[in-house]
Amino acid sequence: MKVNNSLAIVTAISLSGCVTARVEDAREATTGLNDGESVVVMAKSYHQGNETEADYINCVESALGRGSKGLNVIPNQNFVDNLFPWFEPRTAPADTKGLVKLMKRPGVTDAVKKMGVRYIIWLDGDTERVAQGGSLSCAAGPGGGGCFGFAWWQNDADYEASVWDLEGYETAGTVTADFSGTSFLPALVVPIPLIARTQSKACKGLAQQLRAFIVSDEKA
Amino acid sequence: MAPHRLHLAVILFALLATGCAANVTVEQPTIPEPHIEQLPLSVAVRIPAKFNNFVHEENVLGRETWTIDLGSANAAFFKQLFSYMFENVIILGPDDNALDHTFDALVEPDIEGFEFSVPNQSKTDAFAVWIRYKMRVFDSAGNSAASWTVSAYGKSQKEGIGGSKALQRAAVLAMRDAAALILLQMNKATKISDLADGPLDIPALGAESVAGPDAPPEPGGSFGIFAIGGIDDEGE
Repeated sequence: MKVNNSLAIVTAISLSGCVTARVEDAREATTGLNDGESVVVMAKSYHQGNETEADYINCVESALGRGSKGLNVIPNQNFVDNLFPWFEPRTAPADTKGLVKLMKRPGVTDAVKKMGVRYIIWLDGDTERVAQGGSLSCAAGPGGGGCFGFAWWQNDADYEASVWDLEGYETAGTVTADFSGTSFLPALVVPIPLIARTQSKACKGLAQQLRAFIVSDEKA
Repeated sequence: MAPHRLHLAVILFALLATGCAANVTVEQPTIPEPHIEQLPLSVAVRIPAKFNNFVHEENVLGRETWTIDLGSANAAFFKQLFSYMFENVIILGPDDNALDHTFDALVEPDIEGFEFSVPNQSKTDAFAVWIRYKMRVFDSAGNSAASWTVSAYGKSQKEGIGGSKALQRAAVLAMRDAAALILLQMNKATKISDLADGPLDIPALGAESVAGPDAPPEPGGSFGIFAIGGIDDEGE
């Protein structure tokens, strides 16, 4: 039984498409997170054409908070509701200059302190299908059915995270993740999908780098 | 045809028929308590009759018919919004006589336009909703003081099969977008707080403009403000 399970896992791993990855950070200020301090993950405004997927934001939120070294993450909807109407897609500050002005508004600094938010992580970017090809046809008849052919597609996941420090009201730096994955679907009677989990890997890669970036005491 | 086959055919036909039409009902949205200072004004809000039963129906690319039922969502939304914005709020029905009440200003919101797009049209995974509200402001004597167009936008990504939930969420986000803009810009755009000092110093345009539901005369032009990426404070 154990051999069967191991075989299934090995098969599943070997049957996934290939993904190439590049994750980089650019530090502008020293970071660090004290006890009781939290981070919040936000999407840049769709009013400005940003297309970051809601499930990607959820994925980064949970990846940042996962594990024994997980960060304390405030769900972004709670943050936006607690600071209504200052972090709506239309009204959220576009840069740290706007943040300084916003924090002087009555009740805003208190609400941020109450939630213990130290960093805002602004996500920008999306996952797009950039190429596809091949052909696959399926047919079914009274005696059964089947597929024949080969199809492939390539997804690119390009994301950028800007980290704002709410202690000094400054940009701490940016982390970028560029992932590219090609999926294949060969079919000889039965289609065998070899899917590249590009977005999911971009989520894990970005979250891992963000966590290291924020807790690091590296100087700018 | 055997009865069970007839039933199957009827069910299949019904499924195909519903595949070409979608109904979206928007639950009454609530907005969180805002971090703003209330304006020291007594405001009467006249809710138009169509706010209690607003339905938008549209045929998309000749394939699907979408029916979006906002019901009384707009009425509830404006009641809550203005209660956060002004110190004292009186809600008037469409047939109430405003002159029976004492107030500094009367606000009459209206929907000028409602539009939406589905993924087939935008070639993205998102549903989007645009709502254009018109806010008419009158002083306590019935003079038209300002008219302001608020263009709100909401976008939500498709989740699962269909799109009813995403479209519903996009509509709620558009209403919330309008709320943010009204909270932060209405006073700047309409100078409603000036009406706390009494009615405008102009010849009265006729008390019936606030007393009845008929469209009042337009003031010296209407205008819109559109701000993105933080609210511009200049001139406040």
